[in-house]
Amino acid sequence: MTAPYRLPPFAAAVTGIGLVTSAGIGADATWRALNDPAAAPCVPHRDELRGLPCDFMYSVTGLDTRAVLGVAAHRLMDRFSHLAVIAAREAVADAGLDPAVWDSGRVAVVIGSAHGGLPFYDEQHTALTERGARRVSPKLAPLAVVNGAASSVATDLGARGPSQAVSTACSSGTVAIGTAHQMLRTGACDIVVAGGAESVCSRLLIASACRLKAVSTRIDDPQAACRPFDTHRDGFVVGEGAGLLVMERPEHARARGAAVRAHVAGYGSSSDAYSAVAPDPDGLGIERALRTALADAGAGPADIGHVNAHGTSTVSNDLIEAVMLRRVLGEHPLVTSTKAMTGHTLGAAGGIETALTVLALQHQLVPPTVNLDAPDPDIPVDVVSKEARPAVFDAAVKTSLGFGGHNAALVLTR
Amino acid sequence: MSMSTADEISTLLTANFGTDPVAIRPDVPLRQLRLDSLALEELRLLIEDRLDVDLDDVQLTSRDTVGQLVEAVHRKAAA
Repeated sequence: MTAPYRLPPFAAAVTGIGLVTSAGIGADATWRALNDPAAAPCVPHRDELRGLPCDFMYSVTGLDTRAVLGVAAHRLMDRFSHLAVIAAREAVADAGLDPAVWDSGRVAVVIGSAHGGLPFYDEQHTALTERGARRVSPKLAPLAVVNGAASSVATDLGARGPSQAVSTACSSGTVAIGTAHQMLRTGACDIVVAGGAESVCSRLLIASACRLKAVSTRIDDPQAACRPFDTHRDGFVVGEGAGLLVMERPEHARARGAAVRAHVAGYGSSSDAYSAVAPDPDGLGIERALRTALADAGAGPADIGHVNAHGTSTVSNDLIEAVMLRRVLGEHPLVTSTKAMTGHTLGAAGGIETALTVLALQHQLVPPTVNLDAPDPDIPVDVVSKEARPAVFDAAVKTSLGFGGHNAALVLTR
Repeated sequence: MSMSTADEISTLLTANFGTDPVAIRPDVPLRQLRLDSLALEELRLLIEDRLDVDLDDVQLTSRDTVGQLVEAVHRKAAA
């Protein structure tokens, strides 16, 4: 019999979460949709993408960002920052924190994004070529940069500690949370708002992704296009959204009597040093990140009951990742890819999926991988499909892989 | 009847910058309406598109008043 898992000497307390996804506005709405067998992914065709082999994407609908943020604040942010600020407000409120009275110099912001305000670049490039340099918006340079979400959240909340963006392609959100974990551990701050934000309905980007054959072209059935671990998967589907955590030094959370949703107990990252696009075919890079995270958390394979996988729905990622998970953790963890409901939100994915892993730990429930109709027989792990599966587990893993070989893994515990 | 230049500018300020219409008076400096250098350049583009004028050589600073802005736009529109 193995010894019960014990938290390592340092584990950051997760006291709040905020989510804005195509599945729902807010953490509760997103979680409900993920676990509702009747809920369908929100993957409309988009006018901006008309004529491309992939003209659809997971989209945040039913959210009037201008009304929520107000005209004056709204105009000073790109859309990915709008989503980040709305998620950050939810996370801070969920944590029971009041920015009017917190020690603002001890509050940090770390937000990942792969592309920042890319659609704004698209739009303004058109203005430049069609109407000349004088018609280019002065807002492009300061607002579309990748750090826009971090600076917008810091400004909106009045967080005056360290603030920074993390950009490691599709692992950005996970690396942001790992970075926050390290900042808390060193004592650089007491509180961090960390995660990821992305909104890239960009004709330019999707055209390139189509040429790369990385995205699904299931144009006649967009809702079924993202099907991680399925035999008939044919690529990822881009999504937009934001997922942020409020993380605190444990003694800070304890001192104010905060309810702790979960802990970030371990973090690991690595580089494949292999390819600009393809993951290491043996998954050695993500394996190094995962083993580092497990060691950091003082956890063994037997402690891990659930994995929220990167699971993009590309042929190579899902196979390489699943084989690696089986090799490192064994066959017992319940694996899911929530991207089938949220889309691949690129730099936001790690933030959104870590928040969902926190909810899975709290509810002791693993959400399903929707669209998994015909499990790939070469996938050697237990992927939860169709319906959420209750389970008893104290620790879970979040894995992320990014173009360029940026790997990251987190161990989360109750 | 078409809107006056002052009304057009007031509408642009309210719709795009969230400015309180009551605060938009001829003697009020633009900085009092929280229009910084970025906002002024954004406003310049909006006025040019809306009123089909070229304000490229108009010097705009946040010390200028609403009335001075309206007058400058008038001059360019009449030129």
